[in-house]
Amino acid sequence: MEGLGLYGVFAVMFFATWLTRGAFLLAGERVRLPAGLQRFLRFAPAAALGALIAPELVGGTGQPLDFLSPRLAAAVAVVLVALRWRNPWLPFLVGMGVLLALQRLGG
Amino acid sequence: MNPAVREGMREGVRRIFTVSLGLIPWAIATGLAMRASGLSVGESLAMNLFVYAATAQLGTLPLLMGGAPLWLILLTATVLNLRFVIYSAAVSPAFHDQPWARRVAASYGLVDAVFIVLGPPLLEERDPQRRWGMFAGAALWCWVSWQAATALGIFGAGWVPADWSLGFMGTIALLVLLVPLCRDRAMLATAFAAGIAALVLRNLPLRTGVIAAVAVGLAVGVLFDRMAALRRRRG
Repeated sequence: MEGLGLYGVFAVMFFATWLTRGAFLLAGERVRLPAGLQRFLRFAPAAALGALIAPELVGGTGQPLDFLSPRLAAAVAVVLVALRWRNPWLPFLVGMGVLLALQRLGG
Repeated sequence: MNPAVREGMREGVRRIFTVSLGLIPWAIATGLAMRASGLSVGESLAMNLFVYAATAQLGTLPLLMGGAPLWLILLTATVLNLRFVIYSAAVSPAFHDQPWARRVAASYGLVDAVFIVLGPPLLEERDPQRRWGMFAGAALWCWVSWQAATALGIFGAGWVPADWSLGFMGTIALLVLLVPLCRDRAMLATAFAAGIAALVLRNLPLRTGVIAAVAVGLAVGVLFDRMAALRRRRG
């Protein structure tokens, strides 16, 4: 972020998002996405989400790994709720509830 | 306004309405998580207007506040956005006969919900004016409701006690997105491999472990895909 400032970073992220969404809308009719590349791109969101979520639950940069953390327990609750029910509010309520309860008990 | 466009817009809003309600908790969580990570009200509103991609916003927050270099923030946002390239390719036939300005605007508004709900009907609609109306109505409705609900979270964050770990709302939002993806076994393996790699590599300098972990996850996913294809060919 050196020198650019937060708003500069936002502007760069705006272009990154706009260009990925617009890739084939802006390019016109001649450009097609090869099937092999499409299969590969399919896995990008799962890979990115896994890589971003795991350190939040078990321990990030400079922290020891903790497989008994309240965050991991709350995340397990979120996954179970999301698998079982379609209500969009429930994962947030249950996840925050479990996290706060365990933090209060533990500390 | 062209009557076909107007009629299409009504149809677009009608189709997206239920799904847009389901996005409200996500939007509020995004607003809360931006504030909890240390962004001010103005910065949070600006990020939400500029980027308008919750996954990229939530995913880059720890990097942004942890002082990661710009190229890493950009790369992470782009990887999280790669699914849009697939959407873009899939719906592009519905936009080929539209003027440039409409395609430029559509490239801002093509969010997950709009693609998933409107993708198939857009490709079937013959009338270009009505088709544009359907997209524009749904995209505009999504944008307004998303911005409003996020603002609720951004302004509401000040009312919540500081020790409530609100940043975790962002993690929950990302988990809620990951769960349906992982019904596919190759996707589950991808996410797990990337997660474990991110833990092992968490102390690489400048948080570059995240990108290395994404690469590991992608490799595992493609391997799974290949093996499944081989099995299909044999059996």
